[in-house]
Amino acid sequence: MKIKAKMKRDMAVIKVLAKHPMETGLRKDKKTDKIIPAKFIKELVCKHGDKVVFHADFGRSVSKNPYVSFSFAGAQKGETVSMTWTDNTDETVTVEAPIK
Amino acid sequence: MYNSVKKYLKVLVLATAAQGLFATAAYAQDPGHYGLGRIATEEEVAGWDIDVRPDGLGLPDGSGSVSVGEGLYEAQCASCHGLFGEGEGRWPVLAGGEGTLTDDRPQKTVGSYWPYASTLWDYTRRAMPFTAPQSLSVDETYAITAYVLYLNELVEEDFVLTKENFLTVKMPNAEGFFEDDRPDVKNTACMKDCKDPASIKVISTIAGVSPTEHLEEKGAEESEAAEPGNVHGKAIYKQSCAVCHDHGVAGAPKTGDNEIWADRLVPGMEAVVERAISGYTGEDGVMPPKGGNMSLSDEDVTAAVHYMVEQSQ
Ligand code: HEC
Ligand code: HEC
Repeated sequence: MKIKAKMKRDMAVIKVLAKHPMETGLRKDKKTDKIIPAKFIKELVCKHGDKVVFHADFGRSVSKNPYVSFSFAGAQKGETVSMTWTDNTDETVTVEAPIK
Repeated sequence: MYNSVKKYLKVLVLATAAQGLFATAAYAQDPGHYGLGRIATEEEVAGWDIDVRPDGLGLPDGSGSVSVGEGLYEAQCASCHGLFGEGEGRWPVLAGGEGTLTDDRPQKTVGSYWPYASTLWDYTRRAMPFTAPQSLSVDETYAITAYVLYLNELVEEDFVLTKENFLTVKMPNAEGFFEDDRPDVKNTACMKDCKDPASIKVISTIAGVSPTEHLEEKGAEESEAAEPGNVHGKAIYKQSCAVCHDHGVAGAPKTGDNEIWADRLVPGMEAVVERAISGYTGEDGVMPPKGGNMSLSDEDVTAAVHYMVEQSQ
């Protein structure tokens, strides 16, 4: 997962690229003719300190390597944000980034 | 990038030939020159001779870090190629796609496909940013190259790319290219005891495979007559501006968004047209001169701007 966080006037603008296959569980592997097991992000959460500033419920319909961009007020340059995704297999990844 | 080297050589020859037409008599008597041309000066050759090869030949002295490259990339490349190299809109993707080359829909990027880092260095200096090729300094090119490698997870965050360590960068698909080993690509011309041409049968042709109907220009005049208004401006717009302005790609003000355009028009139509012709970098992104299509005349661009403004009122 890659994050860019940057102050633009009084808003922190966050851009995130979550590396994830986002398999629907409905696709067949052409070679083996077997269903490729579902693996998709269920939840994406961004925290500033311990405050949740962004929360998204994802499903099968979101494309591979989802890209998300949003902004929120009340942050300062130099603080950090953390971003966490959790997928349907309960794998989870958290990454932190400084606000520039 | 063997291909580009070949192309470049051709340009060199043509350029020399063209100059020859205007050359003074100084070299005109050189034997073997048919009275044409002159020898390119060292400076001219140096200007053309900027290719960098897989073994590092041609790399100038210099260096650049991932962290410096990050700032340069975000200012000069991200508006098209995306902050993470994911590609804005339909602009080329520069990062990711590892392991997809054998998929139904392979994603060919610098990291997943390109066999040599030297191509990235060479191409970036030669051709990018798209709207101002060859504007980057040597150190800037090292830094941006380092950053694009970093986006592809091929080097670490604190990496500094230099002429000396360049060859330590290994590209994942370096072994993916090989010389074509199919027997029929090494066809040698037959000079004696050859096959009787009458016995050779054509077993397939590609005729009829490529659709050609669209090449026939029919009905162009009709539609022009049927559609009143700024037809010329619309045509130019569709061809050269719509990629960005239809949907607001790369920060471009969206055609049809009345509010944005009312603001933009405050300095007056003339100023706005001038900026479209000369290009500029604003708060939202880079407007390339003439939208990047330098074959357009100033009148063409003016007509396109009028069309955009008409659509946004
Ligand atoms: C205005 C949009 C724009 C900007 C800004 C831009 N590029 Fe490009 N870039 C393009 C286009 C269009 C192509 C494809 C050109 C072609 O195929 O002829 C391209 C191709 C590339 C490629 C080759 C991609 C491939 O897989 O074939 C690389 C590498 C690249 N650009 C790097 C950069 C770098 C580095 C910068 C910043 C210094 C930059 N670009 C800025 C539009 C842009
Ligand atoms: C590579 C994408 C791209 C293409 C192609 C492009 N534009 Fe733009 N254009 C932009 C961006 C980005 C801006 C906004 C820059 C800013 O103000 O930050 C812009 C701004 C403008 C403006 C507003 C200028 C002002 O003074 O506010 C006009 C007019 C314009 N473009 C006309 C055109 C015309 C005409 C064409 C086709 C010949 C064209 N553009 C093609 C990206 C593009």
